[in-house]
Amino acid sequence: MSTSLLILLTLFTPVGAALTLGLLPNFRRAGRPAEYLSVAAAFVSLIAATVLFIRQQLVSDATPLLDTHIRWLSHNGKSLVEVGATIDGISAPMLLVVALVAFCVQLYSMGYLAGESGDARGRYFTYQSLFIFAMEAMVVAPNAFQVFMGWELVGMCSYLLIGHYYQKPSAARASLKAFWVTKFADMGLLFGLLVLFTVGGSFGWDSTTVTSLGSSGATAVAALFLLAVVGKSAQFPLHIWLPDAMEGPTPVSALLHAATMVAAGVYLIVRTYPIFAAAPDVLTVMAYLGAFTAFFAACVAMVQTDIKKLLAYSTCSQLGYMVAALGTGSLMGGYFHLSTHACFKALLFLAAGSFIHAVHSNEMENMGGLWAKMKLSAILFIIGSLALAGLPGLSGFFSKEVILEELSHSGHALPFVACMLTAGMTAFYMTKACLLAIFGPPSEGARHAHESPKTMLLPMGILAALSLVAGFGGTMLAQMYGVEYAFHFGTTGIIATALGFAGIGLALFAYLPSRRANNPFGALTSVGSFIRYGAVDRTAAFAYRNGLCKIGAAIGWFDRYVVDGVMNLTGWLPLVAAQRLRRIQTGVVTDYVYGVIVGLIVLIAMGTVFK
Amino acid sequence: MTLAAYLIVAAAVFCCGLYGVLTRRNAIGMLIGVELMANAGNINLIAFSRFLGQVDGQVFTLFAIALTVAEVVVGLALVLLLYRSRKNIDVVQASEMKG
Repeated sequence: MSTSLLILLTLFTPVGAALTLGLLPNFRRAGRPAEYLSVAAAFVSLIAATVLFIRQQLVSDATPLLDTHIRWLSHNGKSLVEVGATIDGISAPMLLVVALVAFCVQLYSMGYLAGESGDARGRYFTYQSLFIFAMEAMVVAPNAFQVFMGWELVGMCSYLLIGHYYQKPSAARASLKAFWVTKFADMGLLFGLLVLFTVGGSFGWDSTTVTSLGSSGATAVAALFLLAVVGKSAQFPLHIWLPDAMEGPTPVSALLHAATMVAAGVYLIVRTYPIFAAAPDVLTVMAYLGAFTAFFAACVAMVQTDIKKLLAYSTCSQLGYMVAALGTGSLMGGYFHLSTHACFKALLFLAAGSFIHAVHSNEMENMGGLWAKMKLSAILFIIGSLALAGLPGLSGFFSKEVILEELSHSGHALPFVACMLTAGMTAFYMTKACLLAIFGPPSEGARHAHESPKTMLLPMGILAALSLVAGFGGTMLAQMYGVEYAFHFGTTGIIATALGFAGIGLALFAYLPSRRANNPFGALTSVGSFIRYGAVDRTAAFAYRNGLCKIGAAIGWFDRYVVDGVMNLTGWLPLVAAQRLRRIQTGVVTDYVYGVIVGLIVLIAMGTVFK
Repeated sequence: MTLAAYLIVAAAVFCCGLYGVLTRRNAIGMLIGVELMANAGNINLIAFSRFLGQVDGQVFTLFAIALTVAEVVVGLALVLLLYRSRKNIDVVQASEMKG
């Protein structure tokens, strides 16, 4: 099968499903057929993406497998914008990750949403299919313009899916919050595009464009893109939307807000790396910002009681790792961690969703004692936790290793230390989550819990298998990216692993069921809620109320009284003038003749004077 | 006779016509005034034509007279309509177009 046909299948089966469901309301509302269509579309997309990945892998050097453009908006024989698809060593792995996680999540959703009405399920699967298309179109984008289109589409899908339970006020608010915060950041991408096109001369990131951008142009574009990344990939201080986005159904959190959409920001940096490479200042900012986010979000995650919020902060933290790694110039570190993180974080969310599905609560203390009832889900959750914690041999261990190694050589001491500490904290909070949710004292909710159906367990199994082995794919991926990589377990790795074990040990010490009575970290919870609600959210709310709203009110006043005033004045002046001037219309012909004569005399006089 | 003499006569006729237009309240009287002003122009044309030795002015005058006749026809028609609607032809009383 030709490569072009494969990419068409990858992209257009999901959007075909979305359009079919969107245009046939009765079919959509039926629920079950809509599910089958969406899952089938995701499956076709996955198969095609896998074939593309294997073919790209077989291309030995870094040449793209496919680079096709369609002219769009032609102007004077030149095309202003081109849309198309590029399959190369960068986009093929991401395409596979997106298609894979999407298929797993779609399959899982069939079980997870089984209790909802056909209308809600149809709507959900329509948006999910649209999301898969948008994300894949962004991944294979041949230029920044198509990236922008995909970027905005996934943002819209995120908004729609967070608001899935739109009857709940908190969900409706969360979807709006996510929309506005990311939309604010998206301005960066839009303005970055404008600078890129006006200074660089094209929407591409090839060497010609980067050369014509020059040092200052590249810095401007990279800084503006970084703003968009900070919003989309939930970096400090625009991470505030991500924990609230957990109001959406758990599979949405797994697909959009853990594995793929939030990683779009990191992918944007990877994709447009030639521009970032020409802006060393922005890279330094990224290293510090990413490391700070990793550390900060891990702190907040340690004190969460809601399992999804814990995972959300963990996602912020891991995305911080990726941004920091890219800030040190390590494409391998950032991108490899993105791929492994997509597997184990999606797994964690799906397993957490399995618990939530069973006990109907997000609180970890309501989940205690699930080990007895849901052994499979519990084991899968533990596998994901250990992969995230960086247990040697699991996927998270390898990718985190690369990042820490790169940071230790980068010369940024502070980010390195922050990321090392974060490794220990990650192990701590994941162990804590396991202990509380799975091995905690049996709770009321867990008494009636029962294992999830196979449609939910199968996708979790696939992701768990990948979480176990994906770490060994590093060499293959490095070859596709076109970078040097050889696994190296040095001092940094030993310290990080030791910190990880220390975190696990500390969590066991504090949260083992036998020790719960005298938990030394109980006081931390109140500190944590202060950090969460007291610091960042309140600062954001304060900035919103006193900054944005005041500016908005001032602009509103200016518009109402100055702009409108000028408008009203220009309307009022002729009106008054006309009222005065109508008196000279006497209706008597003689007067008009006088007017003619006066006019004539004036004209003659002017003709004489200005000869 | 010099050119100036013709021009003086024309100016005098023009002033008479203008005076008539400005002072008359009778619409027909105003029309006569307008005619006088037009003919003052015609006199000028003829005079210049003769003294410059060119025939253009005379041809032009013939056209001007024809046009004046047409104008008078329209003017008189208006006066007739005015009379029919108001039973008089006083232009000062006909001031419905007052602003």
